[in-house]
Amino acid sequence: MEGLTAALMAIALAGLGLWTLIRRRNAIWKLLGLNVASGGSILFLVGVAHRPEARPPILGMGPGPAADPLPQALVLTAIVIHFATLALSLVYVIFLTERRHTQDVPRLERPRRRK
Amino acid sequence: MIVAAGGVLAYFFLGVMGIVTGRGRLGGALAILAGVVSLGLWAPGFPEGLLGDPPWGIPLVGDTLALAFWSFIPLVHAAVWWSERRRPSAFHGLVTLLVGTCMATVLSRDLFNMYVAMELGSLLSFLLIGYDARARAVWASLQYLILATVGMILYLFGVGLLYGTLGTLSLSRIADLSPDFSQPTLAVGIGLLVAGTAVKAGVFLVGLWLPAAYGEAPAGVATLLAGLVGKMGIVVLARLSEALPVGMVVAALGVFTALGGLLYAIWERDLKMFLAYQVVAHIGYMLIAFGLGGPAFLGGILYVVAHCLFKGLLFQSAGQAVEAVGERDIGALAGKLPRPAAWGLAFGTGAIVGLPPLAGFVGKEYIGAFIPPPFSWLTVVFAVGVAAAFVKLVPLFRATSSEGDWGSMGLLAAGVMGLSAWGMASVPHVWTMDAVAKALGAVVAGCGLHFLLRRTSPRLPTVTMDRISVAIVIGAAVIPLALLLRG
Repeated sequence: MEGLTAALMAIALAGLGLWTLIRRRNAIWKLLGLNVASGGSILFLVGVAHRPEARPPILGMGPGPAADPLPQALVLTAIVIHFATLALSLVYVIFLTERRHTQDVPRLERPRRRK
Repeated sequence: MIVAAGGVLAYFFLGVMGIVTGRGRLGGALAILAGVVSLGLWAPGFPEGLLGDPPWGIPLVGDTLALAFWSFIPLVHAAVWWSERRRPSAFHGLVTLLVGTCMATVLSRDLFNMYVAMELGSLLSFLLIGYDARARAVWASLQYLILATVGMILYLFGVGLLYGTLGTLSLSRIADLSPDFSQPTLAVGIGLLVAGTAVKAGVFLVGLWLPAAYGEAPAGVATLLAGLVGKMGIVVLARLSEALPVGMVVAALGVFTALGGLLYAIWERDLKMFLAYQVVAHIGYMLIAFGLGGPAFLGGILYVVAHCLFKGLLFQSAGQAVEAVGERDIGALAGKLPRPAAWGLAFGTGAIVGLPPLAGFVGKEYIGAFIPPPFSWLTVVFAVGVAAAFVKLVPLFRATSSEGDWGSMGLLAAGVMGLSAWGMASVPHVWTMDAVAKALGAVVAGCGLHFLLRRTSPRLPTVTMDRISVAIVIGAAVIPLALLLRG
């Protein structure tokens, strides 16, 4: 049951994040939406690892069934990648704010004027 | 297998060392050497092996697709290395890392490993596209990273669903289980995998971050993207359609992409954007081949290699031309090009429209022979459309100044010529009078179409980030739904 709840919450988070990504005009809001959505994907993988009555998959945590360790290992990698993505994108947003004086996406992508 | 994995590790090590020690150029040169040596040692290929211990090792396979990629990767890397040799060390370190990532992607048969490789590729190309710190390039690369990450989030959901249902991430073990779409979780999971990869691969509508990113990147980086990195999404889609019954979906995406890319390419006036829309169109053609599978798969491999070489050449020439003249509009560039750029464009155009002895011809004919009859009109439409779009580059072929850089142009042109010679020798059955006449006829028809359309300028919907994001959400709903209904 907890696994299903986690999966549903993950889908809700991803939907919320994508909604923000599409509706907001500001680049930083878009990045925040992206980060919420990636949080959803991470929560989903953790939900997949769930087994009923399981303990965390750490050696020495006592007897009984353990949660599946593989998705949790994947999640660690995914978190690092999402962190790197967010950090690098923020650097570029700062650069664009300094250079173009705006974070408004429709203005940033306005086509170049023909000569 | 150990040798191939060693080659990839050598690439990563030399790339990191290049950035850390400030000897990126030397690192890049050594890495090219390491790649060639490693390929020479594993050359005919190797069967599936695990990197790591049995239940969780990463499966690597050296099959024809991997072999084909490895055989031209050193050439493309060398061309980029030469064209950007005046850049600082960190740039060359990043290029080396990015090439290493691509070498890893084509070997891998593990869903999550491919995810990591694709994300690493996105991050590194993101840094390289914006390397010159021009505001437009920085925006294009930011848009690329955001949209590619959305695609990869969908992919992660797909990985979760697949792992939860089948309990493995190895594509060959998944293929052994021969999954079908009767289980809803499996259908949705596989649909999300395809939709997520389609964003990264540059499929029409969901992957339209591609023209801006390729168009704004510096010359050498655009060469690397068009000549290697941009094909990684296609490799992953090819792997998926090998292991899972999604071939028809991939082929349908291919048809849509080929026609959509052509539509935008025909009226585009910015030289680099024009070439980038042509990349989209050709991606569609490759996806058709990979989706059909069987003998067409081999044709797809041939066409991917040929396209990497001549599109790399075209982007290298266009980049040099734009940087030398300072204009981007095809009309404004005409008659101002340095000789290497003009000749490179002429040679690349000849290859891409499929003039008979050159590599594009062999690839197109090879795929065309395996497209089932109700769709064979597609190859004709595609050939005529590509020719019609490329005719407008003809005024650029007349060179005015002789300065310019021949090095990388020569390397890539030699690659195209080598592949053409190889194709002539090893695929003789496409060399019928019929095929040659058809190829020449398509070029002539393309010229005619160009003159018909020259005066028209329809207003195509502009591509904005919000529209692409909406398209991605729609794609992520439609593709899994289609698979569900088939199950």
